Amino acid sequence: MPHKTSKKREPYDLVSNVLVAFFAVLNLFPLYWLFTSSLKNSADVVKMPPDWFPATITFDNYIDVFRSQPALRWTFNSLFVSGVSTVLVIIVGAMAAYAFSKLAFKGRNIIFVVFISSLMIPKEIMIVPLFRIIQDFGMVNELSGMIWPNVATAFGVFLLKGFFDATPDALREASRIDGAGEWRTFAQIMLPIVKPGIGALFILNFVQVWNDYLWQMVVGQEKNMKTLMVGTATLMQDLNPNYAYKMAGATVAAIPMLIIFLLFQRYFTHGMTAGAVKE
Amino acid sequence: MRLRKQALQANLTGYLFILPQMAIFLLFLVYPIVEGIRLSLYQINYQNERFVGLDNYASLFSDPVFFKALLNTVVFVVCIVLLTVGFALFAASAVFDKNAKYVSFIRGSYYIPVMVSMVVMSMVWSFLLNPASGLISYLAREAGAGQVNVLGGGKTVMPVIIFVTFATNVGQTIILYIAAMIGVPKDLFEAAEVDGASRWQTIRHILIPSVQPSTVYISIINIIAVLKIFVVIQLLTGGGPNNGSVTLMYYLYNNAFKFNQLGTASAVGVIMFLITLLLSVPQLRSMLRQT
Repeated sequence: MPHKTSKKREPYDLVSNVLVAFFAVLNLFPLYWLFTSSLKNSADVVKMPPDWFPATITFDNYIDVFRSQPALRWTFNSLFVSGVSTVLVIIVGAMAAYAFSKLAFKGRNIIFVVFISSLMIPKEIMIVPLFRIIQDFGMVNELSGMIWPNVATAFGVFLLKGFFDATPDALREASRIDGAGEWRTFAQIMLPIVKPGIGALFILNFVQVWNDYLWQMVVGQEKNMKTLMVGTATLMQDLNPNYAYKMAGATVAAIPMLIIFLLFQRYFTHGMTAGAVKE
Repeated sequence: MRLRKQALQANLTGYLFILPQMAIFLLFLVYPIVEGIRLSLYQINYQNERFVGLDNYASLFSDPVFFKALLNTVVFVVCIVLLTVGFALFAASAVFDKNAKYVSFIRGSYYIPVMVSMVVMSMVWSFLLNPASGLISYLAREAGAGQVNVLGGGKTVMPVIIFVTFATNVGQTIILYIAAMIGVPKDLFEAAEVDGASRWQTIRHILIPSVQPSTVYISIINIIAVLKIFVVIQLLTGGGPNNGSVTLMYYLYNNAFKFNQLGTASAVGVIMFLITLLLSVPQLRSMLRQT
C-alpha cells in the first residue's frame, strides 16, 4: 500500500501485523504439541506440570503404531485413492474442458452450465444413494469404490477450461492445417500448453481426496481397507489409553501432507486463485 | 450437404470429448440425487421398499434431535463463517503489501493446519482439551478456573468447536484474500494516499470493497463447507453432550449407518441439497456471467 517511501509506520499497521504474526505462531502450537507429545513416553505425556520439551525422546510410539496397526497399508491406500482419483479427474476433465473451450457442438453452453451448477454440491449429502450404488457394483471395501465418486466432480473441467480459454486459437488451427486430427491436436499440442493448470489441479485435487474422510470411512470398513485418515481416527477409540501413541499415529497421518505442502507451496496459491478469484 | 456433414462430425467430436466426464457425472452425481429424492419418499428395510409419501419428512419435523441438529448447524455456519471472513480480511489486509518472505510465512503458518487435515487437528485438540491430562485443562486449573471439561459442558461445547474449526481452516480463506488483494490496482491506493487517507481508511473504503466479489465466493464455499461439518464432531464430542453438538451431517450419518433409517437419512440429504442449491445461486450467476 501507500508507503514505499514513507518512513514511519502507522500504529494500526504495526499493531495489526504484530497480532497477525503472533496468532500465526500460536496457531502452529497444537502441531508442536502433537509432535513433541508423540516423542514422549506414556507417563511423561500426561505429566502435570507438563514438559514443554520432551525430557527423554522415544520412538516407541511410532514403532507401536506400525506394529499394532496396518499403517503402511493405510498409507498405500490413501496414496492410491488420491493418486488414481486425481489422474482420472485430470484425464476426463481435460478432455471435457478442451471441448467446452475450443470445439463447437450443439448444446455446448447448456451442458457446461449443468456441470458448473454441480460444483457446489458435496457428495456427502447423497451418501445413502451413493453407497447403494457402490454396493450394487460390489465396490464396498474396495479402493475403486472410494475413487469413482471423486471423479464425478466438475472441478477439473471448471479449472482447466480457464487455462484452455487462454491459449491462442491460431495454434490449434495450425495443427489442424498440418493434418493432425482433433485428438492429436488435443493430446500433443494443447495439453502441454496447459501444464501449469494441470499441476495446480493435481495438487488441489490430491490434497482434497487425501483429507476426505466421511466417504472413505463408509466405503472402507475392513481394517485393511481403511485410508490413513480414517485409520488414524480409529486410534482415538483404541483401547490403548496412551496419548503419546495416539499422537504418534496423528503425526504419521500429518507428515505426507506437510511434505507435499513444503515442496509445492507455490502451486497451492496458484491453483486456488486460478479456480477462484477471477474478477 | 458437405457442410452439414461437417457440422455433424464436429458435433460428434465434441460429444466424444465430453463423454467420459459426462458418463461419470451422470452415474455418480446426477443419479444419486434423483435416487436420493426417491428414497426420501420410501421406508426402507434392507430389500423391502414401501412408498410412504412425505412421512419421512413429517417424522423429521417431529424429532427434537433434528431441530437441534438444524439449529446447531445454523449456529455453526453463521459463527464460523463470520469469524473466518472477518479474521481473514483483517489478516490479509495487514500483510498483503509486505515483503514476499513475510507474506509467505504468514500464508504457510495459517495454511499448515488446513493441510494436515481436520482429522489430525481434531485429535490434537481432543488431547489438549482432555479434562484429566490435557494441557489446556491444566492451564485452566492453574489459572484458578477449577476442574474444567469444556467438551462435556452444554454451554461450552459449541463455542469450543466453533473455535477449533475456525482456527484449523482459516488459512484457506487468508490465502484467497491475499491473492485477491495483491490483484487490486495500485493506483487506487496512490490516489488514497494523495488524499491523505490513513491505512485503516484505505483498507476500509478501498481495499475491502475492491475484493467484494471474492468475499461472495469465499462466504459461499465456507458456508457449504461448514454445512457438512462432521469430522470434528465425531472425534471431539460424538454429537454430545446430550445432542448438544449434533449437526445435520452427523444426524444424517447416524440415521443411515447406525440406526439404519435410510429413508429418513435420504430426507435429510434432500433438505441439505436444497439448502446448498439455494446458497450457490449467487455464485453460479457470477461464474456464468464470466463464461
